[in-house]
Amino acid sequence: MDRRLSRRTIMTGAAATAALGMTGCLQNPDPSGGGGGGGGEKYQPGDTPGNGSVSILGAFGGQEQEAFMASLEKFEADAKITINYTPDKDFTNTIQQRAGAGDAPDIALFPQPGGMFDLAGKGLITPIDAFLDYDALNSTLIPGFLDSARFEGRVYGAPMRMACKSLIWYPKKAYEKGGYSAEPATMQELTTITEKIKADGIAPWSDGWDDGQATGWVGTDWIEEFMLRVHGPVVYDDWTKHRIPFNAKEVVEVFDIVGELLKGKGNVLGGTDAIINTPFSEAPLPLFEDPTKAMLVRQGNFVTGFFPEDIQANMDDEVGVYAMPTWEGGFDGQPILGGGDLASLFTLNDDTVKVMEFLTSDAFGGEWAAAGGWLSPHRTFDQSLYSDSITRQVAEIASGAAVFRYDGSDLMPTAVGGGSFWTGMVQWLQGTKTSQEVCDEIEAGWPK
Amino acid sequence: MAEVTTTAPTRHGSDGAAPLERNERKSSPARPARVIIGAVGMAVTAWFVCNAFLAFAYYPQWFANSGILVGVLGLVIGIGGSLLFFYFLNLCIEGFPSRFAEGLIPYAFLLPGFSLIAVFLLYPTVQTIIYSFANDDSTAWVGLDNYRAIFSSGAFWSSLLNNFLWILIVPVVTVAFGLAVAVLADKLSPTGEKTAKSFIFLPMAISFVGAATIWGLVYAYNSPGEAQTGLLNAIVTALGGDPQPWYQIDTARLNSLALMVILIWLQTGFAMVLLSSAIKGVPEDTVEAGRMDGASEIRIFWQIIFPQVRTTLIAVLITVLILVLKVFDIIYVTTNGLYNSDVIANLFFRKLFTDQQAGQASAVVVVLLLLVIPILIYQVKSFRDQEANR
Repeated sequence: MDRRLSRRTIMTGAAATAALGMTGCLQNPDPSGGGGGGGGEKYQPGDTPGNGSVSILGAFGGQEQEAFMASLEKFEADAKITINYTPDKDFTNTIQQRAGAGDAPDIALFPQPGGMFDLAGKGLITPIDAFLDYDALNSTLIPGFLDSARFEGRVYGAPMRMACKSLIWYPKKAYEKGGYSAEPATMQELTTITEKIKADGIAPWSDGWDDGQATGWVGTDWIEEFMLRVHGPVVYDDWTKHRIPFNAKEVVEVFDIVGELLKGKGNVLGGTDAIINTPFSEAPLPLFEDPTKAMLVRQGNFVTGFFPEDIQANMDDEVGVYAMPTWEGGFDGQPILGGGDLASLFTLNDDTVKVMEFLTSDAFGGEWAAAGGWLSPHRTFDQSLYSDSITRQVAEIASGAAVFRYDGSDLMPTAVGGGSFWTGMVQWLQGTKTSQEVCDEIEAGWPK
Repeated sequence: MAEVTTTAPTRHGSDGAAPLERNERKSSPARPARVIIGAVGMAVTAWFVCNAFLAFAYYPQWFANSGILVGVLGLVIGIGGSLLFFYFLNLCIEGFPSRFAEGLIPYAFLLPGFSLIAVFLLYPTVQTIIYSFANDDSTAWVGLDNYRAIFSSGAFWSSLLNNFLWILIVPVVTVAFGLAVAVLADKLSPTGEKTAKSFIFLPMAISFVGAATIWGLVYAYNSPGEAQTGLLNAIVTALGGDPQPWYQIDTARLNSLALMVILIWLQTGFAMVLLSSAIKGVPEDTVEAGRMDGASEIRIFWQIIFPQVRTTLIAVLITVLILVLKVFDIIYVTTNGLYNSDVIANLFFRKLFTDQQAGQASAVVVVLLLLVIPILIYQVKSFRDQEANR
């Protein structure tokens, strides 16, 4: 017995020592080691000749990839450059791994600025002012777009596609029959319209937040829209960059304003329970039922893909859209909330610069616009190239914007923008937490 | 566990069960050539096998890009390689003086298995415990801050309470249902028994994620006045009630109970199969004896059958209990921890991957580990007792 015990003690001791020896140290805080990219001075053509081929990594595949390649065909022939595009569904992680391992593509198309900032911070991306005409680019882009790609004073990516979120959709026939105005100048005016709709016995709004593990992002969009409208882009930037705390009084005020709209009795079809339990893609469906159950849906331009098939076949007659109006007593100009793919340069040479110049110009995208599902971030883009009048209208709304801002939750750290902000919105909508409590909790969980 | 089996043959050998053989071997001297050939052979085998597997991954063109060929070669090289490795290992050890070799052999043969356990089980465990005292990206020590943070957060205690409820309710209900089905099915005709048992066992073949999705259709909610797609709400409205958003009702943790039903539905079949075979194993003569003495069927069950299946019952109970402690998928798919329905495992996942707080995430699982240890010890102990009784 003694012998067994002692042997067991030795074995356990040895195992514990071995395990401790393997684990008793911390990880290297900076495993990447930097290098690559960089470049503080203005690039002159001819500094580094290219090899005639440029690799691009992006997140979109399928039809979008085909349209993207079609838009590049003529340029490739003219400039004698071959472009190799690789789509990757797990782009966010892939680009970090490849860039970290020194195997970055020449150009990457970031769907969200967060990952781009990480790599810019490591010095792997060349700022665009080093090789593009920043002022010329800024003058044709929708104002504010480049600011969303700014990291520590310099801009690291230029947009080649835009998503527009500040849109209110309505069922054209029923809406016009009801005699409601489709041109509200302010949110306050819109409220009088919704009161009228309510008086006619129809729910003014339909909304859906359910999206599995991502439930709550639709709610964050509501808050962002109102932050932009009530307090303007300066406070909005302070808020998304955490220069003001999440529980600042401006933010809490906006939560209360959104609360009046979403939680107000009879404002949203089915009330808060329905909002939480309806998938965001099904929110527009009650608009197209007969008789119409709800009149308005606030959602980005991508939502048209979830409309019923017979509606999609006849978009121009069935669907109407206007920009979410401004807030009386808030910011004066028309703000637009959205997103976009940002093109960033990893390899600096003549060919890659030429591709970047074309991708980020207003000449890019004619073929994609005709194929549908694409919006140019340039105000100067030829709008006659869009395939239907609804898209043209959305493009007009976007290009008419006084200020454009990136979706705030995409700019915040994942722990907030993909975590506590989402769950906080659900708890707030349910009423388990007040505006102040939710904001306090998100602020407390902000990564230090 | 392991050393019990290993010490047995060693003691057997050295304590004189075969003294003749031992004396004979004692005279065998060291054979350095064997030791060297064995050692070199082991190294070459290991090198070859490792590189062969790397080649499968890096240069599929060498193998005509054929998955089947790589699979077959993998089997041959993997199994053949380990056989060869152990052959050389044996050769190497036999080269030592026999007295030394005899003591060494069991350990040498245990070593590969034991090192795998060390690399894939002990190392991560110790690493996790150590990282629970470090910051979010494990680059600096923070002392007990992570534990302070999780113990002072309401979400952690809420998850802990939910885990406690899961532990309290699911294993007992699962085993009770399993036992009831096993006993009742035993009374059916053979075909009836087979059919009934197959149906109850069927959910076992469904993954947790699949089951959670299926039950999502049972608990689905549409606003009052709309057609109800959820089965439960369809029944409620048919009876004249209002539809309820089941996942969102945290009064008396009703939503957690609704989720527990999913796991019970999945696991009852498992409990049933094991308990049923235990009941069939009860000697007929003990039951007959009870009948002769005029005991009622209920009394026969509780006083004759039940004591004889008790050990199986406890084994099933503990297996389900450990499963419940690890429950994650069901919550992740249905509510993702919202509405006060979170559990430890899901909280850990969110802390690590969404919040990227490796320190707090480690602290959460260390707490889970501490909770599981007593149960593990009890299970090992009861397993040993059971073995000893055989």
